[in-house]
Amino acid sequence: MADYGHDSGGRVKGINLVKPIVYGNISRYFGKKREEDGHTHQWTIYVKPHRNEDMSTYVKKIQFKLHESYANALRVVSKPPYEIQETGWGEFEIIIKIFFVDPNERPVTLYHFLKLFQTDTNLFLGKKTLVSEHYDEMIFQDPTAMMQQLLCSSRVLTLGAHKHETDFNELEEKTVVALQSARKKIRFEITELNERLKQSKDTITHFKEEIRKLEEQERRKEREKVKEKVT
Amino acid sequence: MADVRDILEWDVDVQAEPGSAPSSSVSTGGDSAAQQMRKKDEIIGSHASDKKQRSRKSQEPTFKRPEGMHREVYALLYSDKKDPPPLIPSDTNKGYKQMKAKLGRSKVRPWKRMPFTNPARKDGAVFHHWRRVADEGKDYPFARFNKEVSIPLYTSQEYQLHLHDEKWTKQATDHLFDLCNRFDLRWVVVHDRFDYASYGRRSIEDMKERYYNIINKLAKARADPNLSNRAAQVYDAEHERKRKEQLLRLFNRTQEQVEEEEMLIAELKKIELRKKEREKKTQDLQKLITAADNNAELRRTERKITKKKIQLPQSKSRKELEGSSKQILETGGIKFPDFKQSGVYLRSQKMKLPSSVGQKKTKAIEHLLDELGIPIQPMPTEDICQLYNELRSDMVLLYELKLAHANCEFELQTLRHRYEALAPGKLPSSALSLNQQPPPTAEEDAEATPTLGEEGVDVKMEDSSDDQSSKNKKVSEIIDVVTTSPSTPRKRRTAIEQSNMMKKLKK
Repeated sequence: MADYGHDSGGRVKGINLVKPIVYGNISRYFGKKREEDGHTHQWTIYVKPHRNEDMSTYVKKIQFKLHESYANALRVVSKPPYEIQETGWGEFEIIIKIFFVDPNERPVTLYHFLKLFQTDTNLFLGKKTLVSEHYDEMIFQDPTAMMQQLLCSSRVLTLGAHKHETDFNELEEKTVVALQSARKKIRFEITELNERLKQSKDTITHFKEEIRKLEEQERRKEREKVKEKVT
Repeated sequence: MADVRDILEWDVDVQAEPGSAPSSSVSTGGDSAAQQMRKKDEIIGSHASDKKQRSRKSQEPTFKRPEGMHREVYALLYSDKKDPPPLIPSDTNKGYKQMKAKLGRSKVRPWKRMPFTNPARKDGAVFHHWRRVADEGKDYPFARFNKEVSIPLYTSQEYQLHLHDEKWTKQATDHLFDLCNRFDLRWVVVHDRFDYASYGRRSIEDMKERYYNIINKLAKARADPNLSNRAAQVYDAEHERKRKEQLLRLFNRTQEQVEEEEMLIAELKKIELRKKEREKKTQDLQKLITAADNNAELRRTERKITKKKIQLPQSKSRKELEGSSKQILETGGIKFPDFKQSGVYLRSQKMKLPSSVGQKKTKAIEHLLDELGIPIQPMPTEDICQLYNELRSDMVLLYELKLAHANCEFELQTLRHRYEALAPGKLPSSALSLNQQPPPTAEEDAEATPTLGEEGVDVKMEDSSDDQSSKNKKVSEIIDVVTTSPSTPRKRRTAIEQSNMMKKLKK
């Protein structure tokens, strides 16, 4: 299985390793506008492993590129927890770049739009902290031999329960169900529409045939008329 | 020198060895000085300075002829320094001047004015011309160009036996053959010289026809090798007459006629083009229908799989699912790119719509997703990714079907108008019933319900809310395909043009 040939670039062919991650931000309203700088929220942007494992075995560092108005906008975190805590007053897109221990693996880039402001419903419910996080999966296709080893040898991160703000398992189930029902619906309509299409196609050919016949009749009549005139 | 060295591919440094260079006798001052030094060294026998010399030599950048450069070109570039120019002129020729022009080696051949006779002439007239003395007494050289056609002659017996013709009297035929003989079958001249007063008006074609007929008949009747050896002379007089008439007519057209013809040809081309387009459209339609059929089949197989899913471990069923989904991607809808390159990527990248999906379709997909309550960026797990891509692929298929259906409806509408124009109030009953399609009839609903019932089993297994929503409204009705209608006026106009064309062609 393992192929260390030079031509393969030291990659192990035919292996796909998947590392699910969760990234996003939480934010909390101060309750008022801060006097000194006008900031209104405290927020934290983070990248976490979805499973309970230590990402630092294979992740070298994670870069967070904040808005240019922040001092030292490019923040680098090389140890877990991979997160940046800041305060601010506005929303913007944060570019997250994950670098791996093996420099032969290109870094992965994520985009997250920092969310600070609660939706009306959540405000109504009286929720204090806002969570905006996403699930994604890093797929290591034909990883380098070094990477493969590192990816397989990561240890647990905490001994306690590893939980996320969002229950992604539940979300997955829900989404799958929604997608399946949607697909069923669409496919049903495809067959239906297809039948209708076939029917109208048949009607069109039928119609064309009829029209052709009629036109022929008319032509014949005309010809006869001409003949009559001649005679 | 450099050339020779290059050809033999000697090392250039060989030159530097004392005594081995034949060109050392012709060298510049600097070089000779160095040689003197070398001689001194030899005499003294000190190896140190020799080494110095060597090291100096090796320090000099040795420029090698680049690969592929021609030797001659390289010599122009570089060999100058190595090979000093010769001091003594080496060219022994007398320069570019030639003392006396040497033109030809033999003696001058004299010419003479002499008489000659042309054998082509029967009168034996004598003319004079200039000729080489050596050629005196020889035949007239241009006599060989006097080719004579051998025209067979018939006897009166032969004529009576084989050559009788209603339109030609013997006298006329004799006259024709006489002319042919005289003018060597130059038909235009024969035609011009023909005695119309006594033998009647005849066209070139008539004459040719008569002549070649006689030749062929004679060839058949006689066992003359001169005649029968030749291939039968085929002359289609009727064809020739038509051809000439056609040319005449083409020539005699008026300007308007020419213009009309051009216009008609252009229109014909347009019609053919449109016909092709229509055929292509119907083909596309067929493709779409087969794609939808495949989709339906897949659904059936997939249903089996989902039933099996309960018993089988998930990984296996997923594999089957993947196989079937690949088929979908081939039959229609969206082709999502495969990630075959090794390296890291995010699962969410797999869900990106490829740019081949147009803006309209993308919008329709988003609209549909919104309507079905599915987030535009769902959580990218493997299963969801698969499902989501399949779903959107199906959506595109649905969109295309809808578009095709709308086009069909439109075509049907125009056909119905045409039909009514041809036979008012006599729409065929079959067409009538099928035409009332857009609002689904009771019959259609009845058709649809059994399939829905079948579906129901699965639906309950997964989600019961699906059933309710499907009853509410068809999702496909959301899709907006009205944008294709602007083609309406154009189509109608072309139809009118076409009918005009037909009338013109009939004329």
